[in-house]
Amino acid sequence: MAGKTKPVIALTGATGFLGSHLMATMLAKGYSIIVFGRPAKNESLKERISRLLKWFGIGSFLDQVKCIDADFSQDNLGIENGEYSRLCSVVDSVIHCASDTSFSENKREKVMAANVNNLKGILEFSKNAHISFFHYISTAYVAGTGVSFCKEILSSAKSFTNVYEESKAAAENLISMFCQKNSITLSIIRPSIVYGDSQSGRSLKFNALYFPIRSAQSIRDIYLNDLSNNGGIKAAKNGIYIDNDGYLFLPLKIYLPYEGDLNIIPVDYFVNATIKIIENCSQGGIYHLTNNLPTTMKIVAKYYEQLMKVRGVEIIYGPQPDNLLRNPAEELFDRFIEPYRPYLSDNRVFDRTNTILATDNLNPPKFTYEIFKTCMEYAIKVNWGASIFA
Amino acid sequence: MQDIVNKSDDKKTPYEIARNCRHYAMCKIDFLGSGVCDSGPEKHFVSFYPQGRMILYEALAGNKISVTEKCIEIADSCNLCGKCDYQCYFLNEMRPTKVMEALKNHVQTYIKNGGKIKLSKDDFLLAEIKKIVGENWASNDEAITVTYSHDLSAISDPKVPDYVVMPNTKEEISSLVKLFNKNKITYTIRGNGQNLLGFAINEGAIIDLNRMKTIEFDEKNWLVKVRPGVTAFDLQKQAQKRGYRINASEPAALLCANIMCSGIMSTFSTTYGINADNFINAEFVDHSGSLFDLNEISSPNLYSYKNLEHKDSPGICVSASIRLHPVTDDEKGILVPFETLNNALDFIKDCSIRHIGLALGIVGAEYISTFLSPTKKMASEIKNIFVDKLNIPWLVVVIGDKYAIRSISEMGFPFFDQNLFKSLYLGLPSLKTAQWLDLVKELSDDEPYSYLKVKSFAELFETALSPSPRLYSQEVDKELSPFFEKLFSHQEMTDLVWLNMYRIMSTRLGRKKPFLPALIYLPIDKDLINDFTDKFRLIAEKHGIDNDFGFITPIDNGKRCIFEYDFFYDYNDPDEIQRIRQVAMESNMLIDDYSVKTGTVKGHPYVLYQGFCRKENLLYS
Ligand SMILES: Cc1cc2nc3c(=O)[nH]c(=O)nc-3n(C[C@H](O)[C@H](O)[C@H](O)COP(=O)(O)OP(=O)(O)OC[C@H]3O[C@@H](n4cnc5c(N)ncnc54)[C@H](O)[C@@H]3O)c2cc1C
Ligand code: SF4
Repeated sequence: MAGKTKPVIALTGATGFLGSHLMATMLAKGYSIIVFGRPAKNESLKERISRLLKWFGIGSFLDQVKCIDADFSQDNLGIENGEYSRLCSVVDSVIHCASDTSFSENKREKVMAANVNNLKGILEFSKNAHISFFHYISTAYVAGTGVSFCKEILSSAKSFTNVYEESKAAAENLISMFCQKNSITLSIIRPSIVYGDSQSGRSLKFNALYFPIRSAQSIRDIYLNDLSNNGGIKAAKNGIYIDNDGYLFLPLKIYLPYEGDLNIIPVDYFVNATIKIIENCSQGGIYHLTNNLPTTMKIVAKYYEQLMKVRGVEIIYGPQPDNLLRNPAEELFDRFIEPYRPYLSDNRVFDRTNTILATDNLNPPKFTYEIFKTCMEYAIKVNWGASIFA
Repeated sequence: MQDIVNKSDDKKTPYEIARNCRHYAMCKIDFLGSGVCDSGPEKHFVSFYPQGRMILYEALAGNKISVTEKCIEIADSCNLCGKCDYQCYFLNEMRPTKVMEALKNHVQTYIKNGGKIKLSKDDFLLAEIKKIVGENWASNDEAITVTYSHDLSAISDPKVPDYVVMPNTKEEISSLVKLFNKNKITYTIRGNGQNLLGFAINEGAIIDLNRMKTIEFDEKNWLVKVRPGVTAFDLQKQAQKRGYRINASEPAALLCANIMCSGIMSTFSTTYGINADNFINAEFVDHSGSLFDLNEISSPNLYSYKNLEHKDSPGICVSASIRLHPVTDDEKGILVPFETLNNALDFIKDCSIRHIGLALGIVGAEYISTFLSPTKKMASEIKNIFVDKLNIPWLVVVIGDKYAIRSISEMGFPFFDQNLFKSLYLGLPSLKTAQWLDLVKELSDDEPYSYLKVKSFAELFETALSPSPRLYSQEVDKELSPFFEKLFSHQEMTDLVWLNMYRIMSTRLGRKKPFLPALIYLPIDKDLINDFTDKFRLIAEKHGIDNDFGFITPIDNGKRCIFEYDFFYDYNDPDEIQRIRQVAMESNMLIDDYSVKTGTVKGHPYVLYQGFCRKENLLYS
């Protein structure tokens, strides 16, 4: 273990995308981390963490992590009394990263339970441990709908795109009240949409930005297979063909309600900015980890066409005409991207005053074709996550 | 032992194949349209069908019997046409012709080596029997009798009868009963031996009813009179030709046997009913050899029900007038997927109460993947895809007219319609490698199976799977694939209505291992059904027996349902047979317990030989 120069951090959500990246970098910086988490079906928590650290290439850091099986819905986090007290005596700060990221209204109860109701356990622990800092990983989209300029203050939004945003906004307010009452310094970190590492392309999760690309790729592959193995009858029926230069022409009109941006940041920026905030901000605050140079779906579509050797993608801003005839690819694609649609053309602007100060003006990179290519090639290599640990 | 079950047929010896014959009698019906073994319909004894030859070869190769006159006739009457390979491979992935060749070789070598042919002599009783049924229709030749030593069940020990008799009229049956009574000979009736409990084997005489195959339609009275040798498959075919349907259970089961044994039930029982709902009248020869007609006032009251385990048989059913049901030309089949058994139960109950759908049944992923897959290997791969990728652990099969299907659509349930089902079925091999399935799963996060509501999903699904008889047939043995390709080009092979009304797939359930079902009649009560499921599983696990949920079909407007839970065992493994017997006993005790506790649960053993009873007496008394 590194010396007691750095605070001992209790981290939740360490097996998730953001949590695991934070854990890896913090370990490399010499932090001691206590992970509160759950075993999976056939894997202990320690095995899960070990597997992740190996993926980050820092398997030997496992000694620096203490893994505690915790159930956030239980009193004392389901931890045996003696152990709980010992933990209370050593932990200096908490980073609460654990979250249910489902957007599904059908899962409202589960999402609310995980993101709001289950806060009680970790907050009580923070109080009992007399911690100095509580860092909460939230989302930029607690701002809700109908707002154009989103400030780095607590959200008072009444309407949200989905239950996930709603739960995160509720959680922020609850945590804030609790921390105020118990004199715990709170920082709320609000990333926008996070993709993989901008340098290596590596990622552990392939939703959000990846999902439309993956959907389009799947549809492309279905027609490529039809063209090469089945005479392309179905493809021809839908005006799909291979151009002389080998590009697949696959008409895919994507309607987005209005012109807007796609605010995405790479995970390396998320990690570096978060650590700076944790290390620099003794007074706490709210921080937007968003991109001042957001991209657009038009740009992403171009990148996609170039990488996948496809033509025919058209981003159209404005309402979809009634009785519009959609080809099967368009219809399915529409359905695939439905949960993400509000984020694909977004005209909210995010205030970054606190963030700029706390991170020494650290900014996420502009989303270039190179970054896109690196990230997507990695995603395809690991079969969109399916073979990531194979 | 396990190895033999899993070995593919090209690696198995003929003896091993023969020992694995499932005795389902499916080779006695032409369910693939490929024709049946030529000698069978001519000679009628099971011995002249592939199933009989399998048992005969097993007995010869195992030195249980020696070569007899009939043995030579049975071996010679096989012309190695290979039809039984198609049939048996389709159901069990077995290739019996290898056994047929071995049987012929065995007999020829025996004769060539100067082996003595055992001649059977008519004793007094056989001579008397022959006076009744004719020279050709009774035998005590070991090659014949040994083929009646098994029925489908392997939990009862095989028994070789002394005589096998094949009467052709009810008068002959009456005379036989009198003769057997007079000579104190035990006699046992045999249909096609498909009952799952070993009731069609015994010592003494076996009366095989398979010559009595007359079918007489009385359309103005919506009935068809069958004699006791008519199979469900053959009658359904005749009924369909005339625009009707009957409620049929297993295709090779004889209708009279089925009613007699425990009553006909199928997914169509949701509307067509069970037990007495299925027939209008029946004729019997009683234990003294006298004839009676169920409609006569003086006849025994077979409509009543007594809660007795293994009640005595009321006699021999020599004809039954089966109800005919009308058919509309807009009937279709659909598959409605569910994430939980409870949701599927709510659905079938609701449909049943509202009279939506003609046939309804919940099946699990094991059932559906077994039915759809041409091989065992593929079935297990497909099962995983259904559960893990498509998130479909449960499916409800619905057969209904256009109004029923429309109602289900209006109720908001996404489903696989007939076209999607066909793509799924004939595209199964592509499903194994379809990467886009991961997306489909994520797509379902918001609303389960909502992709099925995407209008052109069917077209994309078809494009993605490239379903075709050729693709599907690539999965089977190379030599058989041209036959399978042709077979699967027939529209009915992928038609959910046809598949359900003929039920030719259900014997595939025993493909991996033979099975023993626990069958219960009970209310559609989620707690009760989940309790049974858990407890059956625990019993099976305790004894190391493979097990799975079978099916649930609602009956009587959703007031009750039929629930089958299946246990699988290797019937060449004496230790597993001991264990499955234990499982059967404990499962029956469990059903008995609930029966007493709830007053609403009835177990299958209590229905045996009461198949003629009114369902109301069975379900609510
Ligand atoms: C894979 C499989 C699935 C099955 N699923 C179903 C199902 O869904 N629904 C269902 O109802 N059944 C089902 N069964 C059970 C089976 O179909 C019935 O038990 C049917 O009775 C078997 O018919 P059989 O001709 O083979 O009768 P057998 O097994 O030959 O005889 C059954 C019993 O009836 C007696 N018997 C036969 N004929 C007569 C007669 N004419 N008069 C008096 N007694 C007679 C016999 O002595 C024996 O006791 C299934 C069986 C299998 C193998
Ligand atoms: S191979 Fe022999 S047993 Fe098989 S169906 Fe042909 S004739 Fe009958």
